[in-house]
Amino acid sequence: MGAGLFAAAEFAMPDLVHNVPQLSMPHLRMWHVNGVAIGWLSMGYVGAMFHMIPTLCKTRLWSERLGNFSMWAWNLVMVGAFCTLLNGNTEGREYAELGAILDVLVALDLILILYNVYRTILNRRVQKLYVSLWYFLGSLFWFPLVYLIGQRTFVALPGLNDAIVGWFYGHNILGMWFTTVGVGMMYYLLPRLTQAPLYSHGLSMLGFWGIALFYAPTGTHHILQSPVPEWLKAIAVISSIFLLVPVLTVLTNFFMTMKGKWGMVVTDLPLRFAVTSACFYLVTCVQGPFQATRWVNWYLHFSQWVVGHAHLALLGTFSFILTSAFYYSLPRLTGRDWYSQGLIRAHYWLKFLGFLLMMTSLTIAGLVQAAGWAFGVPIDQWSLQIRPYWFLRELSGIMIVLGQLIFAYNAYKSFYTSEPAVVLVKPAPGKTQEVKA
Amino acid sequence: MPKEKPESFQQRWLSGYTLGAIGILSTFMIIIFSTVFMPMVLFRPSPSGRGNDYTVEQVADAHRGRQIYVREGCFYCHTQFTRLQDRGYGPLVQAGDYNYETPHQLGTARTGPDLTNEGGRMSSQWQKAHLVNPRALKPGSIMPSFSFLSDRDMNDLVAYIQSLGNKRTSKNFVEAPDEYRDTTDHGKALLDRKTTGKEAVDTNSSAAANAGRGIYTQNCAVCHGLEGWGNGPNAISLEKKPANFSRPFYKQYPDEFWFYRISEGVPGTRMPRFGEILSEQQRWYLVAYLKTLQKDQEVVISKIDQLNKAEQVKLPVLTDQQYEPHTGE
Repeated sequence: MGAGLFAAAEFAMPDLVHNVPQLSMPHLRMWHVNGVAIGWLSMGYVGAMFHMIPTLCKTRLWSERLGNFSMWAWNLVMVGAFCTLLNGNTEGREYAELGAILDVLVALDLILILYNVYRTILNRRVQKLYVSLWYFLGSLFWFPLVYLIGQRTFVALPGLNDAIVGWFYGHNILGMWFTTVGVGMMYYLLPRLTQAPLYSHGLSMLGFWGIALFYAPTGTHHILQSPVPEWLKAIAVISSIFLLVPVLTVLTNFFMTMKGKWGMVVTDLPLRFAVTSACFYLVTCVQGPFQATRWVNWYLHFSQWVVGHAHLALLGTFSFILTSAFYYSLPRLTGRDWYSQGLIRAHYWLKFLGFLLMMTSLTIAGLVQAAGWAFGVPIDQWSLQIRPYWFLRELSGIMIVLGQLIFAYNAYKSFYTSEPAVVLVKPAPGKTQEVKA
Repeated sequence: MPKEKPESFQQRWLSGYTLGAIGILSTFMIIIFSTVFMPMVLFRPSPSGRGNDYTVEQVADAHRGRQIYVREGCFYCHTQFTRLQDRGYGPLVQAGDYNYETPHQLGTARTGPDLTNEGGRMSSQWQKAHLVNPRALKPGSIMPSFSFLSDRDMNDLVAYIQSLGNKRTSKNFVEAPDEYRDTTDHGKALLDRKTTGKEAVDTNSSAAANAGRGIYTQNCAVCHGLEGWGNGPNAISLEKKPANFSRPFYKQYPDEFWFYRISEGVPGTRMPRFGEILSEQQRWYLVAYLKTLQKDQEVVISKIDQLNKAEQVKLPVLTDQQYEPHTGE
């Protein structure tokens, strides 16, 4: 599975940031969105699940061969996506651009993965299901459904209905997949990295059901000012605000688990990634309901602020937790320690500072834009004023890509270094070594 | 090995993780039902006749142009719905406008301007040149160049752009839409407020016209000119020239139509929606003033020296009364 993770990383990394408005920026954007969502995050998530679920069940993956097969199938999809999207073969639906064949392949692949995971959990040797498993199973039930409904491959809905279903998908690929799996991973990683028991299992269940209830209907808040039915908008706004409940529950749980262990982020690098991710999760989930309310949306919608928010979720939160999972699990999977701790640090700081820069520049640019739209200032008058922020964003993009390249290099060296890997896991104080071959 | 007691239905299906799994799926199904399937059944706007119908033959090029628009991902930066607070993007959209828009091109971000009513705003040559080299026409623009499009693609794309919002232009030039006339409750209430009550305005009185003059000078003269000849300073840069109110043609406009034009702007032109910034009363004052501008016959300029003869701009003497032109008092 390590190969799967690495392939996933290799795959989408060159395109994590391609935001320079250049010749065919729309095509790059299609590939960027799909590369990140379907390529980097989804594939990485599945890879991490294939490691975490057997560990939590104290058993082996039901079928390694099936797992490898789904990994290759997914990579095939990404090759297809690369070739089609860059050539403009798109369905023209935001976040659901992939063509019919690729859609079907992704859906089939997801079902194979679900089956594999489901059989693994049936074979488990522990009676209780840890909360991460709840999240993983839930996500694997939800996501194929969301994906099938959201792609609208074989149906042609009239305009606004198309938009409603489209945003159901657009928001739930985040809500019922990236968030739930990401939070599940956090639940797995934080107690393990800190060697502390989870603060409260009751709270974790409350958070799980809260997400399950309130996340799915929020999609319409993306088209809050279009002529879709008011009742649907009301449902979307109300559930968006109610989302604060599961979010704060989950984060209380994380931060209470971290109690007395905050110092560990200095030495423990995977933990540092995980904690950064949790902090960004707090920011993104306070920002989200806030900008989903009608009056804030009235002002901020259509601007780069929203783009910043999207990056805060996918890059700041879920990409960080995924990276944490990589750093935590790769030594346990391959039996080799990371090639260089310094490179991990470099990766962290490049990604962290790069992301902060990106977020700041996008938010400021967004505020300028929002003021322009809200007060009816012609675009010609303010478009020059946000140019510095485009350059800042480009700079931040370079930093992040550089960080990811360092990560890929580090992983490559750790796999294929000719020196025999003697040291397994760098002992952190009071940490028991458990190595999965 | 003792024979196990067979599990009861309750034990088998309604306990532990099975119940959890059922819960997960059923919760989700309820949500899918309420936010995906219910809208499809309940929300079926009838076609408003104001959106493009790509199924008819006449817009075949535009239909293909729309595919280019989708293929090139224009919707990542250009939206296709006007909101209440937008100025200068033409009339508000209605739910029924979108019945033939599949896949929808509503868009999510406005890195570029809204295109809902873009058709006719600029000439086709302008659109084409702008697609090839945006910076040549709009120096601050960050739009990518689409010079790689073939001639046919480019022409179809321009045909599509020029078709946007065409159906929202009023064919009958002297009839305001229903919501401005006494045929609907909305229009009735509007006209009631005009004729009776505290904010009543007699659009035929010279007092109201005087009040409208200040509003005109502040908001309209920059394009339509101080005397309504359509020759304000901005007119030079506009593709569709502002209306020349001195033409006798405008005598046939009823009050409601003036009011509608002022409130919602003119599709396909740069005329903004003043309904957003002027109060109802102010707009009626403006109507009263505009009705005084028509001459008895068309004024034609035949000699170049007539054209160049610059009129002296006569600034009004500032008195207390005229200090606040917006209030019209």
